[in-house]
Amino acid sequence: MSRAAVQRQHRTKIHLAVGFGALGAAILGVLVWMPWQTFPDLRLWIPFATAFVYFEWHTVEVNDRLFASPSVMVLLTAAVIFGPESAVIGAAAMAAVGLIAPADISERRWFQPIVNFGQQVASATAATAVLSLFMSVGGLTGWPIVDAELLMIAIGSVFASIVYGFVNYRMVLFIVGRVYGRLEVRPWSHIGAILLPMTGMGFLGGLLGATYLTIGTAALPLIAVVFFVGYMAFESYARLREAQESTIRGFIKALEAKDLYTRGHTERVARFTEMIGKQMGFDGTQLERLRWAALIHDVGKLAVPRELIRKRSRLTDEEYEAMQQHVHFVEDLLEDVDFLQPMIEIASNHHAHYDGNGYHGAGHEHGDAPSQEACILAVADTFDAITSTRSYRVALTQPYAYAELRRHAGTQFDPEVVEAFIEGMETSGHRYGSKIELTDDEARDIAEEGLEAIRNADQIHGRDFPLAPIAEDVDDG
Amino acid sequence: MADSRLHRLSLLLLGAIAVLAVASVALIIRSGDAWGGALFWAVVIAGMHYLSVPTPSGKRINLAIGPAVAAAILLPGTVVVLAAYSVGLVGGWGVLQWRATTDRDADSDYVAESISMLAFGVVTSVALAAISGSSLPLAWEQLLSVIAGGVVWFVLRALVSAWVGTEREDLASRYLWLLALEDWSVALAIFTGGALFGMTWPLMGIWAFPVAILPYAFSHLAFVRYNSTRITYGQMIRALAQIPEVADLAPRGHATRTADLAVSMAREIGLHPNEVVELEYAALMHDVGRITLTEPAILKAGYTDEDIARWGAQIIAEAPYLQEVSEYVRVQHSPFRRPGEAMDPDIPMISKIIKVASAYDQAVHEMHLSPLEGLERIHRGSAYDFDPEVSASLRRVLAQRGVIAA
Repeated sequence: MSRAAVQRQHRTKIHLAVGFGALGAAILGVLVWMPWQTFPDLRLWIPFATAFVYFEWHTVEVNDRLFASPSVMVLLTAAVIFGPESAVIGAAAMAAVGLIAPADISERRWFQPIVNFGQQVASATAATAVLSLFMSVGGLTGWPIVDAELLMIAIGSVFASIVYGFVNYRMVLFIVGRVYGRLEVRPWSHIGAILLPMTGMGFLGGLLGATYLTIGTAALPLIAVVFFVGYMAFESYARLREAQESTIRGFIKALEAKDLYTRGHTERVARFTEMIGKQMGFDGTQLERLRWAALIHDVGKLAVPRELIRKRSRLTDEEYEAMQQHVHFVEDLLEDVDFLQPMIEIASNHHAHYDGNGYHGAGHEHGDAPSQEACILAVADTFDAITSTRSYRVALTQPYAYAELRRHAGTQFDPEVVEAFIEGMETSGHRYGSKIELTDDEARDIAEEGLEAIRNADQIHGRDFPLAPIAEDVDDG
Repeated sequence: MADSRLHRLSLLLLGAIAVLAVASVALIIRSGDAWGGALFWAVVIAGMHYLSVPTPSGKRINLAIGPAVAAAILLPGTVVVLAAYSVGLVGGWGVLQWRATTDRDADSDYVAESISMLAFGVVTSVALAAISGSSLPLAWEQLLSVIAGGVVWFVLRALVSAWVGTEREDLASRYLWLLALEDWSVALAIFTGGALFGMTWPLMGIWAFPVAILPYAFSHLAFVRYNSTRITYGQMIRALAQIPEVADLAPRGHATRTADLAVSMAREIGLHPNEVVELEYAALMHDVGRITLTEPAILKAGYTDEDIARWGAQIIAEAPYLQEVSEYVRVQHSPFRRPGEAMDPDIPMISKIIKVASAYDQAVHEMHLSPLEGLERIHRGSAYDFDPEVSASLRRVLAQRGVIAA
């Protein structure tokens, strides 16, 4: 980004921080000074504030769409328990306390906490104000409570959580739009998917609060168990998913390290496919599928004997067969992993051409058009191949890669995918490949020199794998 | 012989249920009132046997205990509670048969869970009766009684599963006991649902349903997803571990056979269930360093077993969640004792187990020795290479599998 743009963004951030900080402070100020609300009993407020803050600091991301956020639940349970006279100020205070997360302190972020403060206080206030309205209508006087009041609490909780989600969402849109410009807003278009679980949680929260009003303090340990066991369950799940993905990433990275030319290739291809997917508006599940397909697309090569991969001249038919066979063996292995089935499809088919020619994976007919995901993988893979150093030549330039992709759009590549890729790449501003124009011969010569440097780097990192022989050495075998 | 403990317990259980059912149903019909409630809960308990939830340890808990908790709070008195339970358990057994689970494990689970449920019913209703009339609010009386019964339920269930399981599969009772204890979070979720319903139904009416079921439903979803992810994670590691074999750089099937054997030995020795999981991963991946070779014969390529172990560890170490596994793989070839010393305490049991399992598999499948000859090789290395405690376990596992005579 240009210097001026950075400064402009910084100024915008300051304006937003001041604005939101003032908003939060103003709301709190009004609530404290005006006689409308009395602060709730500290013995009740403190445990709920603690729970709320804990969950705020540890949101669990289950997949790209589903955030498990029990903080809404905690907020509304607390609001119902505090009662209409104390709900709004109690909730606003809870929201305010959660403003500085430890992560923010360790990473010295200032923008996030201040904006969060204003945002959370505003959302919490709006939500609990709505709930209080319903509770007052229901004639809440204390406990035990009767059916009409329960109905009001239930309906009120649903509305309150919708208000909470909506206010939060609008504010985030506003902030992101101001700071980053329109493009990054796209992932937030799935508001419906976020709102539904949030409403469910809010509804449950209100009901749990009503439980306390009905059966008394014995409800508190039960409520605590509901909060924490539910949270733990989701957190274990999220952590395991992360472990799964990071395991295969790490594994592939390490295996790639033994083969100098593919080092980092899979990671880059995964990044590119994700970028294309986002550009084309894919949702969380589709993006995840793409990412996995990218991670496993070259695993097959790990089983192919080195001499075949490294060969400079054309492979004989026999050798080609042998190579494909090894790739198939690995695909067979991965088929035993249930959730990888659709990704193996995509990965095995990514050499197919858009117009139906080219090599198709097992189970595909020559002449079939490959799936759009396979086309995306093909573009990402090719781009990286052109812009990275290989055994036979060094990296070529990015504009050259664009030109290649465009030249074969319609035949080898899906034109829509190619354009989406280039657009996304340019927006991100990243640069790959060589910065200097090279001829083919120059590119090849530089390749030899590069290998020496990489070999030295390996010694520094303590990796002492027997290094892949350079192309010439193989012929001695 | 095998399963005689299970048989004895089942007979005992059957007898107890039959007596209870008949006696208590007769009593209720004679006194006239509470039979409607008892019948209702008996039906619900029986029906809920259809559903179960996977626990982090991989076992399953039957959901019937949920409504049983609610019933213990809502039904008046121990007799009525036991009536509902016994009829419900009979019906539940029928439901399980209808679901056609031929899994033997399901049988032992039913016995353990039924015994525990009955015990829970007794303890909770007795506690409730004893504590009533105290100065505590009713809700607290109910909660404390459920907690008392719940602790008894949990412990008894673990004990029975361990007692039956040790005989069946020659697993260490410590392993089974710890395995059952792992289930505490799931059990807590189910109990909370049942308790919430029982405590709120009289006062909140129909709202008791969402209050009790919604929180449990959220947790159930998470447990189910966790379980399927756990399974696929294991599958993935298994697949990755076999890549060297598919590349013709390691003997086919060695990784999975070694892991299989190592896991049996670990359970037999009585390692913690979490350790057994790590051991499985480490055993599967113990030869993954071979992927760096250009040909299958290690020595011919100019390297040693230690090199393979070290490279394997480096590869595994790239995965953030497998750091421990990487360590286990790294030291797998270390001798467990050096000349002149007592045992080397730094070699983890997991690595020692993998070393023995791998060496045995090599002897039998690569060198084509008989099982006894393979064992003999292991024994001959028991001064420095192979820990005798581990090789003793190997012998027991092989005997239990029928590979060698007991």
